Amino acid sequence: MQIENVNVEFDADGFMVNPALWSEEIARALAGQEGIAEMSENHWKIVNFIRAYWKENDLAPPVRLICQELGVSIREIYKLFTAGPARGACRIAGLPKPDGCV
Amino acid sequence: MEPRCIYLDNAATTFPKPCEVHDFVSLFYRECGVNPGRTGCDLALRAEQMIHNTRKKLTRFFNASLLAAGKEKDPNRLVFTMNATMSLNLVVNGTVGPGDHVVTTMVEHNSVIRPVNHKVREGAEATFVKPDAEGYVDPAEIRKAIKKNTKLVIVNHGSNVSGVVQDLKAIGAVCAEAGVPFAVDSAQTAGVIPIDMPECNISFLTFTGHKALFGPTGSGGICVADDADIRITLVGGTGVRSAHPYHLEEYPYRLEAGTLNMMGIAGLSAGLDWIENRGLASIHAHEMKLLKMLQDGFAQIKGVTMWGTTKLDQRVATLSVSLANYDAADVGTILDVEYGILTRTGLHCAPLIHEHYGTAPRGTIRFSIGPFNTEEHIQAAIKAMAEIAADRPA
Repeated sequence: MQIENVNVEFDADGFMVNPALWSEEIARALAGQEGIAEMSENHWKIVNFIRAYWKENDLAPPVRLICQELGVSIREIYKLFTAGPARGACRIAGLPKPDGCV
Repeated sequence: MEPRCIYLDNAATTFPKPCEVHDFVSLFYRECGVNPGRTGCDLALRAEQMIHNTRKKLTRFFNASLLAAGKEKDPNRLVFTMNATMSLNLVVNGTVGPGDHVVTTMVEHNSVIRPVNHKVREGAEATFVKPDAEGYVDPAEIRKAIKKNTKLVIVNHGSNVSGVVQDLKAIGAVCAEAGVPFAVDSAQTAGVIPIDMPECNISFLTFTGHKALFGPTGSGGICVADDADIRITLVGGTGVRSAHPYHLEEYPYRLEAGTLNMMGIAGLSAGLDWIENRGLASIHAHEMKLLKMLQDGFAQIKGVTMWGTTKLDQRVATLSVSLANYDAADVGTILDVEYGILTRTGLHCAPLIHEHYGTAPRGTIRFSIGPFNTEEHIQAAIKAMAEIAADRPA
């Protein structure tokens, strides 16, 4: 996929193959795929927190930590990212697919 | 000890462990944490004695009919491994080669599916027997699948997805009649359902230590019947006969290489004592009472589908469900973050049974009950699922 003159590759689940290529433009494009017409301040707050945590820890943050640190409830996260914190917010934040038992 | 969450993921590992297990592991390792059997010093001998006693206890635990008949099975044929997966790898790799055939089932965990598939890639053949709609395997189907070159039948005793428990006695009889070694994966049942190797004609009983046997993670083993053998596939130090250029043929060294997980084995020993004190039947009855309560509660919630079976016999206390209009992973996240209820979602490393139930590729929400769960925990889980269901997206 070509975004802002950058060739961005995705895995079979739609997660970025090379998270280093992430940009806000790419986030907006991925958000569009999730049905988010415009990234609000709350969307960015969550995406930026996830990205910062991942850069520091090489892991997606625990969802409970996102809620505690940003003062949002899990249901608010689902309202903002209907695909949820992992398949929605983490994907938009350019993280590799979080591990899970699927 | 009470965890701060409501833990309903006991099929993954039991939590918490009994205090007696923590206490014994800590005490034994502090007082006797030397390399067992590697020297003649008293501490090493004490460590070796604890390990040997645990072999004995486990051997008796899995061979009750022999004990009742006043016979003692050789405890050295009880070998320790890191977990059920390692045990199953040793069994499959040590009994099946190119050109051989394996019979197994669609109920299996990847701890069987993958070792078997790797053997197929190396030139073996495999048949994955299909269970009935609930997940129970018909022993007659096992019989039909056995061929002249079948070298192993390997069956999951209790499903980690739906809790269905297979009839080992009937399957074992089929294997004995056909003269094929019978391996059992008891990861979900050892410690909650009695398993008698001679009665079920089991050749290789594989187990994990950290589930219903209440040992720590990193502990497990195989009990090998007297008339069965596993080829050596793991070689190295045994602490004895060091000048011998090859790995030792005799048990337990045959299947053990390197220093054993002494803390894990100490925990297993204490876990077995705890089970004996509380009573295996009493543990199972408690868990099944709570499972019934959970199933009855979920049956009242619109949108909840319970997969596999809701039978309460031939079962362990594991239940997989889905919720209409929700992805399983999302329900698990909400249960965790909003309600503090820990479950396991997805395919549970058992993709074939999910395909069979029609719950692949996203899987289910699995609730698995342990001895420390209470009626209050189950009521909280039912209430949480009802609230999530009521709030479901269109």
